[in-house]
Amino acid sequence: MSPQYSLRSLLLVILAAFSANASNWLYLAKLSSVGSISEEETCEKLKGLIQRQVQMCKRNLEVMDSVRRGAQLAIEECQYQFRNRRWNCSTLDTLPVFGKVVTQGTREAAFVYAISSAGVAFAVTRACSSGELEKCGCDRTVHGVSPQGFQWSGCSDNIAYGVAFSQSFVDVRERSKGASSSRALMNLHNNEAGRKAILNNMRVECKCHGVSGSCEVKTCWKAMPPFRKVGNMLKEKFDGATEVEQRKIGSTKVLVPKNSQFKPHTDEDLVYLDSSPDFCDHDLKNGVLGTSGRQCNKTSKAIDGCELMCCGRGFHTDEVEVVERCSCKFHWCCFVKCKQCHRVAEMHTCR
Amino acid sequence: MAGAIIENMSTKKLCIVGGILLIFQVIAFLVGGLIAPSPTSAVPYLSIKCVDVRKNHHKTKWLMPWGPNQCERIRDLDEAMSRQIEANDIVFAVHIPLPTKEMSPWFQFILVILQLDIAFKKNNEIKDNAEVTLDVSLAYRDDMFSEWKEMAHAIETRKLKCSFASPKTIEHEGRYYDCDVLPFMEIGTVAHKFYLLNIRLPVNERKLINVGIGEIKDVRLVGIHQNGGFTKVWFAMKTFLTPSIFIIMVWYWRRITMMTRAPVLLEKVIFALGISMTFINIPVEWFSIGFDWTWMLLFGDIRQGIFYAMLLSFWIIFCGEHMMDQNERNRFSGYWKQVGPIAVGAFCLFIFDMCERGVQLKNPFYSIWTTDVGTELAMAFIIVAGICLCLYFLFLCFMVFQVFRNISGKQSSLPAMSKARRLHYEGLIFRFKFLMLITLACAAMTIIFFIVSQVTEGHWKWGDFTIQVNSAFFTGIYGMWNLYVFALMFLYAPSHKNYGEDQSNGDLGVSSGEELQLTTTITHVDGPTEIYKLARKEAQE
Repeated sequence: MSPQYSLRSLLLVILAAFSANASNWLYLAKLSSVGSISEEETCEKLKGLIQRQVQMCKRNLEVMDSVRRGAQLAIEECQYQFRNRRWNCSTLDTLPVFGKVVTQGTREAAFVYAISSAGVAFAVTRACSSGELEKCGCDRTVHGVSPQGFQWSGCSDNIAYGVAFSQSFVDVRERSKGASSSRALMNLHNNEAGRKAILNNMRVECKCHGVSGSCEVKTCWKAMPPFRKVGNMLKEKFDGATEVEQRKIGSTKVLVPKNSQFKPHTDEDLVYLDSSPDFCDHDLKNGVLGTSGRQCNKTSKAIDGCELMCCGRGFHTDEVEVVERCSCKFHWCCFVKCKQCHRVAEMHTCR
Repeated sequence: MAGAIIENMSTKKLCIVGGILLIFQVIAFLVGGLIAPSPTSAVPYLSIKCVDVRKNHHKTKWLMPWGPNQCERIRDLDEAMSRQIEANDIVFAVHIPLPTKEMSPWFQFILVILQLDIAFKKNNEIKDNAEVTLDVSLAYRDDMFSEWKEMAHAIETRKLKCSFASPKTIEHEGRYYDCDVLPFMEIGTVAHKFYLLNIRLPVNERKLINVGIGEIKDVRLVGIHQNGGFTKVWFAMKTFLTPSIFIIMVWYWRRITMMTRAPVLLEKVIFALGISMTFINIPVEWFSIGFDWTWMLLFGDIRQGIFYAMLLSFWIIFCGEHMMDQNERNRFSGYWKQVGPIAVGAFCLFIFDMCERGVQLKNPFYSIWTTDVGTELAMAFIIVAGICLCLYFLFLCFMVFQVFRNISGKQSSLPAMSKARRLHYEGLIFRFKFLMLITLACAAMTIIFFIVSQVTEGHWKWGDFTIQVNSAFFTGIYGMWNLYVFALMFLYAPSHKNYGEDQSNGDLGVSSGEELQLTTTITHVDGPTEIYKLARKEAQE
């Protein structure tokens, strides 16, 4: 117990030190040991939440498991999208989850904020349609005039609830600061861009069910895109992210592109304030793990190629025997019967 | 049917009648657009993956996805892999509706469609023509605590039609296929409050069942039902329309029977149209609120089919009776060539509907589209019906063309005719052109609103007002065809204005030769009509 306790107190200290980081709630993803978040006291114990988030947690206990699931989804997707880059979205077991990279206003931070707010919206919406949550679309914005609600006019889309919850939970930190600092503006923008990546990619599906199945009566609904698609969209936005600076227009502060030649960013684009470090060298203080020991692709000229990945330090080449599964027999779930094939392959790792 | 009311009416009165009908028409649209909610709702359901922990699954056991007594669940299927749970032990459970909600008889029907989320894996691709076999069971209960009662159980196959947008390489593993939605279930009444679906995907390698269907990640369902609010508005409308049409129908028939001659074909057809309209109108659906009548959907289809067939037949016969050529018709058998296609088409659609919705009475999971033979059969029926419809419209267009050709021919020779003859033809031409006009207007309205409701989103926002376009379409068009039939029976009823007044033919100077030609539509016993009288006055002056 005692090492765990000391770790916790250490976490608290770190939490205090990095309280500027609004993505600390992502630490929820690491708390798989806590089990289900079903009591109000648990909320107090959760690391990484600010006071207002703890209050939200207490008020919306049933949603918190989905928030955690959303954080996990976001981190998994981030690591998938960045698997071939120098910064591979590696997480630390301490706060802040992604190291200091994300506390600065970098491109990477922009992506993390976007994917995590999208992750929460996604997970909450999914939980809605699987019946895990009781509030969801039916009570928030019933589009009928009658108080009978569901019976009279059905429910509104669950995605509206998911997005609204993500807005109130994820954005709360920036909102509490009054949305004045450029960093807060950037975070808010990127959070919104993440949610837009889901909203703008909703698939409209329809079914005809009139007389003899004709299209006299047609019902359409919106289906959420798979989260991989959301990740892909955001990765594209990451590649084309706009560097911005804060400027005062009238009495409101807004973010405008640093280079006035560029056309202004839209709601769906990611924006960042500071340029990123090169992520080449191990720098624990900033939470950068460095690329040494990473695998690279010898033939590629892109970022996953050894040239770029290893930052010109060169690489080792080892011959390893890879055991692969081959001529497999699959079922749709849970069953794989494979032969084991052995293959000798070259593996390149950065120095 | 000489001397229909429409001919004898002054323009002013006709305008008043038209105005009143227009007001009702606008009301019909507004009722749908402002009071009713959208006609249907779609509720997405994500199935919960339950583990059936019992050793052998002999006795049916119902697995609840959430709430008290919920099943032992797994978050995702990777978890099943690590816990060594077999595919045959996994049950996808869906509870309709979502928690804290209740289904209601006002929903009229539930239609469920199935979507499979299948992830691409390089060495576990979906095979060509893959079929998924589902072991599905449906249960119901009326309160949260009683036992589930089985409603249906079936083993169904569905064809997977999936495409993969990205190149099939290792990098794109984990992306989902784009799969067509699969028809899953349809029940014709919602008599119970809670429904539970348990879906299994049993694997049998020897029989090649559920092999080569890729890696299924999720089973999603979408439940579609009619909105209670729309049902109520719809019922109210039907309840109001039934007596209106019925009364005018009785009035119409009384007028016809009051005449000394037997009713002509056209009058009978208009009456039949009124009957079929009333048949649709009678709100028997009220019974679906109290009784578990699953055949209501099918019955509704049949009623609509009868009305459509009647309407199409009416148009043909109306054209035929106004042909103004020398042929004697006035017999239904004279129209077999034109009415035949309607009968064949309607019969085809009836058989198709019986095969789909009729069988669904027994097995709600049945769909004719799931098998190759079924699809071909269904397509055959629909194509034959389509051909019949095209054939019918060709005949109709040809007849309308003929009528117009005859009209222009007659119009040039009108001044040379005797007065009675001229008035007779003028009446015919006016009647025909009037019906042509309102029919075209109604058909155009129907088509325009159909297209608008298809292409636009379900509702328009207009300040604080929300207009439900789809509901307005349904109530408006339904109201419109009711008004059409109403107007038809009112305006084309025989006029009794001068009933019993002097009726001698000689007065009008119709020679016996002419009379013979006119008998198809003219009946002199009805006496001179307004136009005749006016003309007579003019002649006297």
